[in-house]
Amino acid sequence: MLLALVETVNAFVAPALAPSEKDWRAAAAEVRAGFQPGDLIVAAPAWSDSLMRVQLGDLVPMPIAGRMDAGRFGRIWEISQRGARAAETQSAQMAATSRHGRLSVKLWQKPAARVAFDFLSQWQKASLSVSTPDRGELPCWMAQAKFQCGEGTSLGPELLEIDTALRNGLAIDPHERTITVLEYSDVPFGRELAVAAGLHNVWLRKSGDGKVHLRVLADGRELGAVDAGSLSGWSVRRFDTSGLAGRQGKVRFEITVDKAHGRHFGFAAEARNP
Amino acid sequence: MSEDAKPVQPSRPRREWLLPLFLALATSAWMLAVEGHQGIGRDESQYFRAGERYWGWVESTVKEIGKGHFASAFSRGAVDAAWDDNHEHPSLMKLLYGASWRAFHTCDCTGPKRGLHPIPITGKHATLPLFKRESSAFRFPAILLAGLGVALVYWLARRVLQPLPSAVAAVLSVAQPHYFFHAQISCFDVPITVMAVLVALAYWKSLRSPRWGILCGVFWGLALATKHNAWLFPFFLLPHYLWIRRRDLLRLRPPRIPLVFVSMATIGPVVLFVLWPWLWHSPVDRARGWLVRHTQHEHYNFEYLGRNWNLPPKETDRKLLRMTFPFVSTLITVPVTTLALAGIGTVLFLRRRRRTAEARLSNPGSRENRVFVDEGPTAAHASWIRPGIDVDLSPGVFLAIHIAGPIALIALPSTPIFGGVKHFLPAMPFFCVVAGAGAAWLVQFARRLFSPLRFRGALPASLAVLLCLPAVAETQRSHPDGLGHYNLLAGGFAGGASLGMNRQFWGYSALPILPWMIAHRPTSNRIYWHDVLHDAITMYQRDGRLPIGVGDAGVGENVVEQSDLGILILEKHFTVYEGLEWQAYQTTKPSSVYAHEGVPFVVGYERKPQPPRPEQP
Repeated sequence: MLLALVETVNAFVAPALAPSEKDWRAAAAEVRAGFQPGDLIVAAPAWSDSLMRVQLGDLVPMPIAGRMDAGRFGRIWEISQRGARAAETQSAQMAATSRHGRLSVKLWQKPAARVAFDFLSQWQKASLSVSTPDRGELPCWMAQAKFQCGEGTSLGPELLEIDTALRNGLAIDPHERTITVLEYSDVPFGRELAVAAGLHNVWLRKSGDGKVHLRVLADGRELGAVDAGSLSGWSVRRFDTSGLAGRQGKVRFEITVDKAHGRHFGFAAEARNP
Repeated sequence: MSEDAKPVQPSRPRREWLLPLFLALATSAWMLAVEGHQGIGRDESQYFRAGERYWGWVESTVKEIGKGHFASAFSRGAVDAAWDDNHEHPSLMKLLYGASWRAFHTCDCTGPKRGLHPIPITGKHATLPLFKRESSAFRFPAILLAGLGVALVYWLARRVLQPLPSAVAAVLSVAQPHYFFHAQISCFDVPITVMAVLVALAYWKSLRSPRWGILCGVFWGLALATKHNAWLFPFFLLPHYLWIRRRDLLRLRPPRIPLVFVSMATIGPVVLFVLWPWLWHSPVDRARGWLVRHTQHEHYNFEYLGRNWNLPPKETDRKLLRMTFPFVSTLITVPVTTLALAGIGTVLFLRRRRRTAEARLSNPGSRENRVFVDEGPTAAHASWIRPGIDVDLSPGVFLAIHIAGPIALIALPSTPIFGGVKHFLPAMPFFCVVAGAGAAWLVQFARRLFSPLRFRGALPASLAVLLCLPAVAETQRSHPDGLGHYNLLAGGFAGGASLGMNRQFWGYSALPILPWMIAHRPTSNRIYWHDVLHDAITMYQRDGRLPIGVGDAGVGENVVEQSDLGILILEKHFTVYEGLEWQAYQTTKPSSVYAHEGVPFVVGYERKPQPPRPEQP
C-alpha cells in the first residue's frame, strides 16, 4: 500500500523534475558566455544531445559533432541532468559548476592532446593504391573530391554512422583479394598514433558479416591493427610512437576485407602528443 | 455474500454485468478522451487504408449483387483488387475499422479531400457523424474492443476471485502505459489480446458447458481473423487440458478429445475463411503464405539495453542477453504496484495448488480460500462435452501457461523483438488476474488489521482504488508516448532512455511537431518526413491536421538532400538519417524538438538561407 502511494505520488511529481526549456536556455547562456574556440560541448545523458544542440548547435559544427574522440579537447562543457556524467569527461577535473533549474553546467578541464597530424583533414596529401594478386599494385587518382581506383574502389572523407553515432572518417568500400594502401609521407610523429575505425550504416552492417582489417605501419614497422565487424562499433586504438616522436616519417594504412558485401569502412587517425 | 469465512455464494447477476459494463464504458471513454493526442504510426496508417478499401469492396459487392452480377462480384479479380492490400494480416479488425469509418465519420469527402481516399468517392456519405476526425472513426472499434477486453478480464478473474479483486484485475489490465498505447489505435495487438482472453474464457467454461465448447470454436475463428498470434492459442490450452486430465494419463488412459478442441479445429478455420476474402480463391497457397510470412519475419531494428538488435544473435553472451528481453521489459514497463500484486498473487496460487478442493471445503476460512472462489468438481464422471466436470480446473496452471507462453516465445533468441512489449501483450490480462489475487489477499489482510474500526465497510473499495491508482496515474502520465514510458524501477521516461530502452517505433510521434512544420513549411514544399509513412501524412490531411497538398519528398537516403525541411524520429538505428540531414541542411542545430518529460522523441531540421557573401573589396 505504501508502494502504491509512492508510485502514485511519483507519477504526479516526476514530470515536474524534467528540465524545462527555460533551464536549457539558461544553461546554454552560461556555456555561451564562457565558450572559447576549441572547446567541446556535450550533454549527459547522451540521449539529451539533441536538446543541447537546439540551443548550442552552432557551437558544435559537424567536425566537432563527428569527432574521433575527445582527446584533443582540453575544455569540455557538460550540460547534465539527473547526476549523469558524459564519457568524454572521464579523467578530467571539474573547473566550474553552476545549476540552472534541473540542469547542471560543468566545465571540465584536462590536458589536451596536441595533434601533430590529422590524417582525416590532411587526406589529400596521401597517396592511394590498390594491390591485387593478378595485377600487382595500381595507383589511384583524385576525382570529385575522392580517390578513385581502376577496379572501382574509392576513398574520401564522409560523415558516417558507425555504431549508431555520427563520425567523420575516411570511407572506403574495400574489395576482396585486394589490399588498399593509403600512404602519408612526412608525417610529424607524436608520442602516440590514435586510430579509430568501424563500419558505416546500420542496414549495411546487418546485410553483411565480413570483417575489415586495417593494418597500421609507421616507417615500415607495424604498429598494430584495428578490425571492424558488424558488432565491433567504433574502435579506438592508441599505438605508442614515443620512439618516433619529433621525427617525420611515413605512415601506411593497409585495408583488406574477407567478405566485402555490405562493408562500408570508415576510419580516422591522429598523430598526437597526449 | 460476505467475503469472509462463509462458503462462496453465487454473485448477483446485476453485479456480474453492471460492474464489468461500467469498467468497459469507463475504459472506452478514457481512450476516446485522449486518443486524439496520439499520432499515426506506419502500421496504423496502412490499416486505415486497407480498412477503407475492404469496406469499399463490401459496398460495391452489395451493389453488384443487387444488380444481379453475382459471379463478377465475387470474381478473383474483384476480390483481390481490394483484399490484396495488406494481405499479410487477416481481415477482421481492418474490416471493422473500415465499417466504423464509413458509419461514423463527418463527411467532407467531396471537397478538396476527395483525392486523398484510397477508393473512389462518388458522393457525400450519409453517416452518423460521431467523430470530427476520420482517424477517430477508424479507431472506434479498437477502443470498444479494449473496453470489452476489460470486461472479459473481469469475467475471467471471476472464475477464481471475488468481484472486487476481479475489478482490480480488470483495471490493471488496461492501466499499463504500453498496453494503453496500443489499445486506442487501429492495430491488432490489443484486439488479439482481447481475443486471447475471450478464447481462454470460453475454453475454461467449455470444460463444464458444451455451449461454450461450440462458442470457443467461433471465438478462435475470430481470433484467427484478427492476428496470427491466434495460431498459438491451442498450444496454451492443450497443456492445461492434459494437466487437469493428468490422472487419466497416469493410468495410461488417454483423455477423450473434448468438444472444445473439435470445435476449434472445425469451426475456427471456417470462420477465418468466411471473414477473409483474400483466402477465397486460393485458400491453401495463401494460408501457407500467411504462415511463412510470420514464421520467417525479418528482424527490424529495436533498441534494448543500449544495443541495436536487428538480427538473431549468434554469440552465446548476446543470446543470453537477448533472452532477458521480455522479462526485463515486463519488469520495467508494468506499473510496480501491479508487479508487486502479481508477486503476492503468484505465492497464493502456488499455495492453492497444494490443496485439494476437499481440503479447501473443509477449511473454508483459510487465507487462500478467502481469496479464491472455489470451482471444485461438481460431478463424478466427465464426458467429452463436459471434460472438466470431475476435476479441479487448476487455475494457477491455466494462468501460468497463458503468461509464460507468449513471454517464452519472445524470449527465444530467434524471435524478432521489434514490436517490444506488444508482442507479448496477450500475457498481460492473465498476469493481471494473478495481480487481482494479490489484491484480494491485501484486502483481506487490511480488513483483519482494521477490523475494530467503523470504516471497515468502506475499506475494500478504498483499497481497491488505492491499488489501481498508481497504474492509472502512470498510464495517464505516459500518454501519448506510452512506448517510451518506463516504470518507477527504471526511473520513468528518462530512466528508460538512460538504460538504453526503446523509446518508440513507426513514426507515430510526429503529431506534436506538425504545427511547427506547418509554420515553417518551405516555399519549395519539399519536406522530408523520415519514418512517417505517406498514408499517415494523408490521414493527417484528412483529419485537418495538415494542409492539403503538404509536400512529401519521399523515402530513402537520397531524397533528404532534395528537401528543405525534415524531421527525424529518434530511434537508435536512425542516426544515419540525422547525418544526412546535417549534411543536407548544413547544420547540426535542430530548429525544433518534441520531448516528453525532457526526453526527445522527434527533431526538426530546416535549410536556413545562407548568409549573404561579403562584398568583394
